Amino acid sequence: MTVQMKVESPTGINPMIRHRSGHIGSSLPRREDRSPLLGRRRYVADLKLPGMLEVAFVRSPEAHALIRSIDTGPALALPGVHAVYTAADLAEVGSFPHTIQYIRPVDQRPLAEDRVRYVGSPYAAVVAADRYTAEDAAALVSASTEFETLPAVAVLDQALAEDAPRLYDSWPDNRLVDFPAEKPEVTKAFEEADHTFTETYVSQRQTGLPLECRGVVAEDVDGQLTVWSSTQSPHIVRTTIAMMLGIPEPQVRVILPAMGGGFGAKTHQYPEDIVLAWIARKLGRPVRWIEDRFENLVSTVHARDQRHDVEVAYDDDGTIRAVRCAAYCDVGSGEIFMPGTATVFVTAGCITGGYDFPNMEVRPVCVVTNKTPSGAYRGFGTPEGMFVMERIIDRVARLTGADRVELRRRMILQEDQMPYIMHSGGKVDSGSHAKGFERAAALIEQSLARAKARYADDPDVRVGVGYNNYVEPTTPTYHLTTGHWAGYDSATIRVDPDGAVRVALGNTDLGQGAETTAAQLAAEALGVDPDDVTVVMGDTDRAPYGLGAWGSRGAVVMTGSVLMAADRVLVKAREIAAHMLEASSDDVVLADGGFHVAGSGTPKVSWAKVATAAWARTVDLPEGMEPGLEMSGYFEPPDLEHLPGADGKVNAAATWSNGAHAGVVSVRISTGEIRIEDYAVVHDCGTMINPMLIDGQVHGAVAQGIAGAMYEHFQYDPETAQPRFASFMEYLYPTCSEVPEMTVEHFETPAPEQPLGVKGCGEGGTIGPPAVITGAVSDALADLGVDITATPVTPAAVRRAIREAAARGAAS
Amino acid sequence: MKPAAFDYCRPASIDEAAAALASSDSAKVLAGGQSLVPSMNFRISQPSLLVDIRDVEGLDGLEVDQDGVSIGASVTQSRVMNSDEAYSAVPGLRRALRFVGHLQIRNRGTVCGSLAHADPAAELPALAMAAGARLTVRGPQGERTAAADGFYLGPYWTGLEQSEIITGVCFPAEAPGTVTVVDEIARRSGDFAVVGLAAAFDLEDGSVGGARLVSFGVSGRPQRLAAAEEAVRGFHAGAAGDGLYGAAYEDAADAVGDIHASGEYRREALGSLLVRTARAVSASNGGKAGAR
Repeated sequence: MTVQMKVESPTGINPMIRHRSGHIGSSLPRREDRSPLLGRRRYVADLKLPGMLEVAFVRSPEAHALIRSIDTGPALALPGVHAVYTAADLAEVGSFPHTIQYIRPVDQRPLAEDRVRYVGSPYAAVVAADRYTAEDAAALVSASTEFETLPAVAVLDQALAEDAPRLYDSWPDNRLVDFPAEKPEVTKAFEEADHTFTETYVSQRQTGLPLECRGVVAEDVDGQLTVWSSTQSPHIVRTTIAMMLGIPEPQVRVILPAMGGGFGAKTHQYPEDIVLAWIARKLGRPVRWIEDRFENLVSTVHARDQRHDVEVAYDDDGTIRAVRCAAYCDVGSGEIFMPGTATVFVTAGCITGGYDFPNMEVRPVCVVTNKTPSGAYRGFGTPEGMFVMERIIDRVARLTGADRVELRRRMILQEDQMPYIMHSGGKVDSGSHAKGFERAAALIEQSLARAKARYADDPDVRVGVGYNNYVEPTTPTYHLTTGHWAGYDSATIRVDPDGAVRVALGNTDLGQGAETTAAQLAAEALGVDPDDVTVVMGDTDRAPYGLGAWGSRGAVVMTGSVLMAADRVLVKAREIAAHMLEASSDDVVLADGGFHVAGSGTPKVSWAKVATAAWARTVDLPEGMEPGLEMSGYFEPPDLEHLPGADGKVNAAATWSNGAHAGVVSVRISTGEIRIEDYAVVHDCGTMINPMLIDGQVHGAVAQGIAGAMYEHFQYDPETAQPRFASFMEYLYPTCSEVPEMTVEHFETPAPEQPLGVKGCGEGGTIGPPAVITGAVSDALADLGVDITATPVTPAAVRRAIREAAARGAAS
Repeated sequence: MKPAAFDYCRPASIDEAAAALASSDSAKVLAGGQSLVPSMNFRISQPSLLVDIRDVEGLDGLEVDQDGVSIGASVTQSRVMNSDEAYSAVPGLRRALRFVGHLQIRNRGTVCGSLAHADPAAELPALAMAAGARLTVRGPQGERTAAADGFYLGPYWTGLEQSEIITGVCFPAEAPGTVTVVDEIARRSGDFAVVGLAAAFDLEDGSVGGARLVSFGVSGRPQRLAAAEEAVRGFHAGAAGDGLYGAAYEDAADAVGDIHASGEYRREALGSLLVRTARAVSASNGGKAGAR
């Protein structure tokens, strides 16, 4: 194989580089698979340091209470207990930063000081010889804490009530943020439309649920602090620790050894990381805390807890004229940085999905309650919004007698509309929206016919179909989420003396296969074999500063930064090779793993020879050339805006993937049992680097979407705000028995502004299932008058909807 | 999620095990540990002593003869499920066990452990009642037997005294003309039932002569459905199901609601499940096929 590398852009990305014959587009097997399959991958929980002590956190059993007193005496008296710390001991540690200017400030301390606002809130830390003793001692601290219980706010309506108990005494209400929106064109459309209806749509509280829970090990040796943490953003954790503990950033090293899933939940800056770092310095001994599953369910961020009060204006022919929407997001107590406010802005911005629908007015409101703080979860607000939009379209179809597919056809984005500016300012740069939907609808039509035939003899079973056309904002800005960091990422490429390539990245791998992808990119760019590329990530001392993996950004930022760094390496390497070939560097090309003069039979100069000259035999370098062969690229995605304009609009994502989902379900009327008969995904993330890994992303994300559509639900007592879950007996994720076989097909519409035309692909699969499954169940039960307006749709929820529809029918 | 401190012993004989169990008010028997160990990790259960009976001689027997299937206290669920002899004598066992957890759980979990634990949503206690199983119980006063029907008093509450061990259970062989089935609605494969039914139908010429019907997952314990057992007499594949549905709905008047489903859902679904099961069994005309 010959790779002709154009080297024309020593300071930037050449957007014309679109190799499809080499490593880009190849389903290279994951190099990351061997160690986990053999049980040898080393996670934070596998670290054992000499003299290491165990930490257990004492967590609030109260949803809302003042801490009157804590007696640490009984716990300290227990043999094996080294220390018990409370907020008073951490007085020297600062609060988490308040950087997001558009929300009310929440003063969050690493350990709750005098008030707890959710069950699971950490308010003391026990250090002991082992975790068993630490938990015994934590139980003693808990029993020796005097709380004064305050009225709890558990339900959205209750939180919004005038006389609601306040979580924060200095606030006039429980609104963390409230952005009233009013568009004159929407008002006008409501005046002109034939009809209107109102409805409330509810998405339930969930979490990312990584297989590996969080974990932190911290050690301080001679003032050099090392923190191993299962975090998606090691550099951001380092900055936060240095800032809060008041130590120079170079004296902090944060390492992500390997990750067993993050899904957004591990993007946050958690109190445990800060407390462990502080204890390690305080005691001068390594300490470890491994989150158990109960802790994971109550103290890692929740998500998706939204309610949408909508008002829809439509005409007799099914034309939807305008939608007004109050989008409420229950963000829990808001006490984990960064709070989950940005998700509802993404919901508001992307609610129209793959449809040309400008007359959308959304008012995002974030409400605090006495529940676990909310934050990021794969999909980040998009599944909630798409669920609302598709339910609206289906309702209008039902009210007007319009065909559901035809109605969508009338609204869907067309290729000649690209780039399409959404109601929110989102710039959908390109896509295959219309043809993707046609393909998905065609695929599922056959499935529908098969399912109808299968149940033809069973009058208790009905079959239905559901659709979704989404856009996935990928490679977004972090500035609206964090108020601090923005959007770039980095790569450093070094060619070692033997010619082997080392790529160090600010991106991290959560299990997606980023290491394999990075090796493919570097191999393509430098004309080497992927096996000759070593990839380094997740270590602030070994990799350049970067923002980590979230927002489906890895593929785009790695492509950009790796190609930038590779460009720079190539320019220098070619000069060295040209010197050796006694040729002009313009005449030198890279082919078959070496440099030679184009069109000549001259012998090749290998990467090893060039790199040896750069690092060792510098006498072989052109005169005056600086030694070394290591270059960095810091890639700021083009087209990405970090702050809204004067009109409040913003293109907060660098590029927009799209997809069409369609599914067929069967529903048993008598018991409400639902079976997904078939599921089809037509997906487009632009140029594909590794199609197999992309299929994996789609499969996994659809599974998590099905979790949201049918299973996972954090329920709280509506009076006390006590969680009604403690384990996987209550919080039900779908297993392989519940996730159906699915058809996944791809279109590749390159991102016009991004290097290689790559778009992100991590989250899209989560977006469709809530819309599709609720649409299909509603379709199946349409003649019973059922129209599902809330997730998860469970057998009990189906039966309740059938009863309610029957009661409505009897009343009317 | 670590258990509180406890002592552990692993006796070799049933006498030693019984003595160990009697030595402390909060000693617990450990067999497969699939329910006990999680509850200890949550510190819901804090026994002072675990008496591990897996090495106790004489408890590992799985015997099948013309009278039925006898299962010792340390016999795993997988072993029973995989026994073709046990299936042929008592088909209900395999039909119940396929719903019990997942493979890994059944590889450790024991039949007798599940019977002793008495989770109200567990399959095996309900099957034991429907099938007329008898438990052998060893206590300080010696050995006794107890019918499964009547043994279950409430959630995790049986007629077993603190110092007693279930040493075995005997399921009588399914009589000719009887069809035993187990079916359930669970949120996911392998979960405890939201609504479950264990039923032994006595068929006469394609209609139901009589039946022992037991619900599980519906109320606080596995429960005989008295009205439905009356209503099901004479039921056949072509019969209208309304009467049978209504009887089961009334039998389940004390159905409980939880985060997975309301009590009303459980009453409705139990009625539907019973009608669908009775129809399938009647239609199969006494064959060995299960309801699904």
